[in-house]
Amino acid sequence: MIRWNADQTALRQGIGRWCEALSAGDIERDAEGVFPQDQWKLIQESGILGLPFDERWGGLGQSLLTTMYVLEELGRGCRDGGLNFSVATHMVSSGVPLQRFGSQELKQRYLPGICSGETIGAHAITETESGSDALAMRTTATREHDDFVLRGSKSFVSNGPVAGLFVVYARTHPDGGPFGITAFAVERDTPGLVIGEPVAKMGLRTSPLSELHFDDCRIPASAVIGRVGSGFLVLDHVMKWEILCSFIINTGQMRYRLDRCVEYAKERIQFGKPIGSYQSVSNKIVDMRIGLDTARKWLYDTAARLMDGENVTTDIAVSKLLASESNLASALAAVQIFGGSGYLTEYGLEKDLRDAVAGPIYSGTSEIQRNRIASMLGL
Amino acid sequence: MKHTDAVKQFIIDEFLPDVSVTELDSEYDLVHGGVIDSLGLLKTMAWLEDRFDLRADELDLDPNSFRSVDAISRFIEDAHRRRPESD
Ligand SMILES: Cc1cc2nc3c(=O)[nH]c(=O)nc-3n(C[C@H](O)[C@H](O)[C@H](O)COP(=O)(O)OP(=O)(O)OC[C@H]3O[C@@H](n4cnc5c(N)ncnc54)[C@H](O)[C@@H]3O)c2cc1C
Repeated sequence: MIRWNADQTALRQGIGRWCEALSAGDIERDAEGVFPQDQWKLIQESGILGLPFDERWGGLGQSLLTTMYVLEELGRGCRDGGLNFSVATHMVSSGVPLQRFGSQELKQRYLPGICSGETIGAHAITETESGSDALAMRTTATREHDDFVLRGSKSFVSNGPVAGLFVVYARTHPDGGPFGITAFAVERDTPGLVIGEPVAKMGLRTSPLSELHFDDCRIPASAVIGRVGSGFLVLDHVMKWEILCSFIINTGQMRYRLDRCVEYAKERIQFGKPIGSYQSVSNKIVDMRIGLDTARKWLYDTAARLMDGENVTTDIAVSKLLASESNLASALAAVQIFGGSGYLTEYGLEKDLRDAVAGPIYSGTSEIQRNRIASMLGL
Repeated sequence: MKHTDAVKQFIIDEFLPDVSVTELDSEYDLVHGGVIDSLGLLKTMAWLEDRFDLRADELDLDPNSFRSVDAISRFIEDAHRRRPESD
């Protein structure tokens, strides 16, 4: 078990103080489906965006574990699930690969804006023909003298409509297998980059998502993150951070939901007794608790092992599966426990459920995580 | 190179069960030949970390480090050389 120190606890309490303001109007914003610019400014002021980045770039120089501990509190306190998702996407999509693999020049150019949140980050991997099979991507980056020229399209780019910096994964070698992909830092106003309109979706509606089109989009060779051909390894590192940071937020949401369900089950009287006294209700709440504790333990344990330099290929897949599926189960149980009220928009629980459906899809679907675990078992 | 046999055996056990040790040339391009795909690369990295006690964050991002049995063996030696206390 991790024992959090006073500094870590203070950082966590620090974000807690912003959550009421961050949550205000969340249900209305979900209905409108727009990115909450005002709340993003509060997020910037809170300092949370710089947590895991070096102090010399304006970050707070905190570890992965501390970052997760603070993000968990964001999940517990901030009811705008789309905003929370945009925060995690921003941090991991661009800042994480730049800090780990970026050249000094790229770090200097982009990390200060990423740490402050002035520049919103996004990443573009998925294409219409290649989702789970991400390495089958067709967007190409062709070397021309000192530049690379991007051609192709990306879909499902979270933060796309509002991002200032995109980490774009493109093919640099036609048959290079896992070494045929390279990661590039691409600025929003680069000629030839066309950003699509926000795409309507089931949940996470305040986190806008769009397509990107690259029409002979020329970028300097210095925009390569890592080395040419190392895109898959960059992506693997990013996905570990994405899973740990994004799903620890979910565990905060599960905690909030659990507390609410316990309270409701004690208060709501039917047939002369609190509904929590009926085992079919209390068992659902117990399962919510078990799901939460299991997901949390896996996520923190995997993060600790990653920080110790251990191989966590299997653990990451297990953590992602457990956390995303437990979050979805918890969101569904909460609606059921609240009965008809759970189905009403004003209670905020149906929104949580719509948000949670995305978890087993993004960052590698549940099926793909199972495939990974099977492969690591030698199957 | 001192790790060539171990690397070759791993590649055969994991990816080429029908090939014998003598049949696999240690310069054969494992990527171009489709032997190591993305999951295979993750598996190889996991094995390198466990077997040779390499920290994941020490692993070089150079794609060429994983192209052949020889390249992987060289990579292990380089990683150990950079960390003399572990040898
Ligand atoms: C809310 C949200 C945000 C996203 N944000 C981003 C982003 O910021 N950037 C980005 O690049 N992408 C993003 N994505 C895209 C996401 O990564 C893909 O949707 C995901 O990888 C699945 O790809 P797909 O949708 O093409 O489904 P497909 O790959 O077509 O899969 C369809 C179904 O088939 C199953 N399947 C596929 N292959 C196998 C197999 N080998 N074995 C078993 N089952 C299989 C899948 O599990 C799934 O159930 C986002 C998606 C969502 C929903």
